[in-house]
Amino acid sequence: MITKQLLEQIEGEASVYLDLKEDKVDFATVVFPHFRGMESILEAKNALDALVITPRVCGICGHAHLMATVRALEDAYKNTGYDVALTQKVQSIREFTLLMEMAQNHFKWLYMVINPELDKLAKTQGEKKVLKGAYAASLASKAIAVFGGQWPHSSYMVPRGVTCDPTYVEVLQAQSHLDELIKFFEKESLGTLIEAFLAFDSCKDFKELSSDIATIEANLIATGMHEKGFAHDRFLVMGQHAFSKPSKLKGTRSFKVDAKYVSLTDAYAPQEQSYAKNALYKDDFYETGPLARMMASAMPVIKNMHRRYKDSAYTRVMARIFELASILEHSRKLLQKIDVTEASVTELPDIKNISAEGVGVVEAPRGPLLHKISLKKGLIQNYTIITPTQFNIGSSTPQKPTPVQEAMQAESKEDALFIFRTFDVCSVCTTH
Amino acid sequence: MILHKISTMHSKNANKPKLLWLQGITCNGNTHSFLNLSSLDTLLEKFELLYLPAFETKHSLEEIVECKLSCDILIFEGTYDPLMKRADASVEKVLAHYAKAASHIIAAGSCASFGGMFKAVSPKRNSGILFDEEEKSGPLKEDDKKVINLSGCPIHPEWLGYTLQMIVNNMNIPLDELHRPLELYSPLAHHGCTRNEYFEWKVDAKSFGSKEGCLFYEQGCRAPMTHASCNKILWNEVSSKTRIGTPCFGCTEPDFPRKNLFKTKTNMSIPQDVPLGVPKRSYLTLAGIAKTFHIKRLEGKLIDYKTTP
Amino acid sequence: MARVTKEEKKHGIITAALKLFSEKGFYITTIPDIADKVGMSVGNFYNYFKSKDILAKELVLYISEYLGSQIREINERDISTEQKIYEIVSMYFSVAQEKPEMIEYFLRVYLSNREVFGEGCEGMICVSPFVTEMMMFFNDGVEAGDLHDQDFFSAFGLFMGYLGGMVFLFGEKILPEPLESYKDDIAQNIYNALKKR
Repeated sequence: MITKQLLEQIEGEASVYLDLKEDKVDFATVVFPHFRGMESILEAKNALDALVITPRVCGICGHAHLMATVRALEDAYKNTGYDVALTQKVQSIREFTLLMEMAQNHFKWLYMVINPELDKLAKTQGEKKVLKGAYAASLASKAIAVFGGQWPHSSYMVPRGVTCDPTYVEVLQAQSHLDELIKFFEKESLGTLIEAFLAFDSCKDFKELSSDIATIEANLIATGMHEKGFAHDRFLVMGQHAFSKPSKLKGTRSFKVDAKYVSLTDAYAPQEQSYAKNALYKDDFYETGPLARMMASAMPVIKNMHRRYKDSAYTRVMARIFELASILEHSRKLLQKIDVTEASVTELPDIKNISAEGVGVVEAPRGPLLHKISLKKGLIQNYTIITPTQFNIGSSTPQKPTPVQEAMQAESKEDALFIFRTFDVCSVCTTH
Repeated sequence: MILHKISTMHSKNANKPKLLWLQGITCNGNTHSFLNLSSLDTLLEKFELLYLPAFETKHSLEEIVECKLSCDILIFEGTYDPLMKRADASVEKVLAHYAKAASHIIAAGSCASFGGMFKAVSPKRNSGILFDEEEKSGPLKEDDKKVINLSGCPIHPEWLGYTLQMIVNNMNIPLDELHRPLELYSPLAHHGCTRNEYFEWKVDAKSFGSKEGCLFYEQGCRAPMTHASCNKILWNEVSSKTRIGTPCFGCTEPDFPRKNLFKTKTNMSIPQDVPLGVPKRSYLTLAGIAKTFHIKRLEGKLIDYKTTP
Repeated sequence: MARVTKEEKKHGIITAALKLFSEKGFYITTIPDIADKVGMSVGNFYNYFKSKDILAKELVLYISEYLGSQIREINERDISTEQKIYEIVSMYFSVAQEKPEMIEYFLRVYLSNREVFGEGCEGMICVSPFVTEMMMFFNDGVEAGDLHDQDFFSAFGLFMGYLGGMVFLFGEKILPEPLESYKDDIAQNIYNALKKR
């Protein structure tokens, strides 16, 4: 029996068609019913206009799109023979704002999606903490606005630089917002200091903890999520950043990656038209996002969790929580690295001189975000966007399921829908 | 900060206006911007939340699109496409239904106000809920007295906060000819920019990445032609685009998005558009005179103000 | 009634000064010379212009305003850009013919004696009314799609350098034909040089 479930509280809209046999999911397909045509909107536009247009693909990860665009433009310059090296200051500022956007995303996912859904599943009537996520996110947004002017939708990155020219007054303001955010996280979410949390070795370390995170961990075990929601145990990280290492992982074995191996196929969704395309790497499905990044960086506690519970829903959720802590810690270091006397922009010739192709890859909150641009005399001939949700939440055939389809297999309807959410869906990105 | 729980929506709803948030074609940017509002919890407690896309509320979207309910305040985010469906229901029908009983209809963002970014997806079909760019030909043109446009890409959370609070306080909100609240949109984005002195003396920023220089003459800044309070009510209570060095893109105006955004259009070195309401001759006369004088302090780096030769 | 007379008197001084500067030369002409020509005492003269330098600068402004208002009138007419060029050339040449002291003052005194005008007439301040109108002409021409978009000074230099040069030659009595007989070709040359490519 195939039932349709409309999913709410995801970015945008998606439906899951569950083929239930004896109350267990035999097979699930995912449908994204909308299509916006952003790629055709970009055609024939001045290349720099993409810096304003692509962030509007998504309201929660628009910053990642901005960075992917600027990287694609820089790649086009590089392919024309120009040096596009960035000053350390620019790299640090760009990465800081990217991570703050990621932190904002993770906080919202945690408190507005996972926590309430898990409470329902575990039948624990927890206090409604939804706005905790919004508050934490607003602090992260403040830190972004110090350098970017505003969040959402700043467009403050330009080829070979950033538009801002901060003094240490701004750097310290950002530090102060970050410190407040970390304090909030420690007090309200973790129940311990961030350094202590990042030094956790395994699930056992949660026993003494009493906090929102500890409750989530306990509920995940209570609902059996450590034995459910397994995908292919294959991971993909592609964005080059100080905080993430591009690599492909099969279990724990790691390999090199190259953007040229990413391909797209049409969604398999017999019940309804889906406008999303599936993203594959070397013709296979890989999981992307926090779990992939944590596996690639071999964070000890996640490695241990993975050793015990593989790529279960438990590990997936835990990975994101640890990534959140890790991001906050890493961001502190980034701010300390900023030398305001370095240049904000290093000059490049006018974009109208550029007729070349370029690829920009960024680790967005949910995984690799790819922008491929083709320019002729500075005008966009072609623009392709591939989003991480296309890697994770594709819809394919029973013979070759995508990560989310595999993870929902053989679970009850309620469990399957929760497992779906552990992947953190961004429907607007996928239906660009 | 004390975080209140969202009221459990049982006993205290008797006098609270019912709030409903619907979406057309959107990136969700306005929702996320709104979530940054610093007094969000206090504000939301004044309403009975029928449906909001961000978190669980009294009803699910599937219940809402059955069109058996009504609301007092309708917020619509996103470009309006009459053929669009949400939860398998026609957005055209759902919007028409809830617009009827609502006393206030708020277009949250430039897409809902004028068509915005996603009008280009289908230019002849898509529009804002009241305006199609500057023409009042949207689906709610019969209800135009109820519509408030909060244009912006995205909206500033305090603009929506202001509007909702004014409604709760039963106050009349004076609007401009594009239905935007005058108290929010009568300033220009130009008012309060920290680079104003460079604008006065026509010291143009030659490139991006420096805190000195005005972005109007070469870098495409639309602030002197854009109605917005971005530099008055700062973004995220911290800053604004122009303060940190990004040109204003004019996102609150009906012609957003324009083309060639990072460059000022000039005709023989003369800016095509000059500040709102300023006759071109007046602007050129003043600019010509200002450009003649070289104010040493403004020609070097700010921190070198005492030593610039 | 008294105010009108004062304006007329001021205008009288300006006209007389321009004529004398043209006849005798700027440095040789004195305040008493001008006061005498107008028929007022030197003391009274100083009520209108506090010094010769101040008079010199006001003259530039006067000429700029005059030319500026003529160009503005042409700008605001509903004619093509090509026709406007012809009208501007025509106007400029008729001023050169009928009020030669005006253009002469501009070319031979203002442009050639920068030390007099250094303070108070920096850059283009004193010629602002004239330059602003030329800016409007170029602005409208490009916006209408008739003129090629380029840097303002390249276009301005071509237009005004050309006209100034012709008037200079005219003043030196080098031109064999009357000034207005060159109008058509000159206007056409300017249009061909500046029109959309």
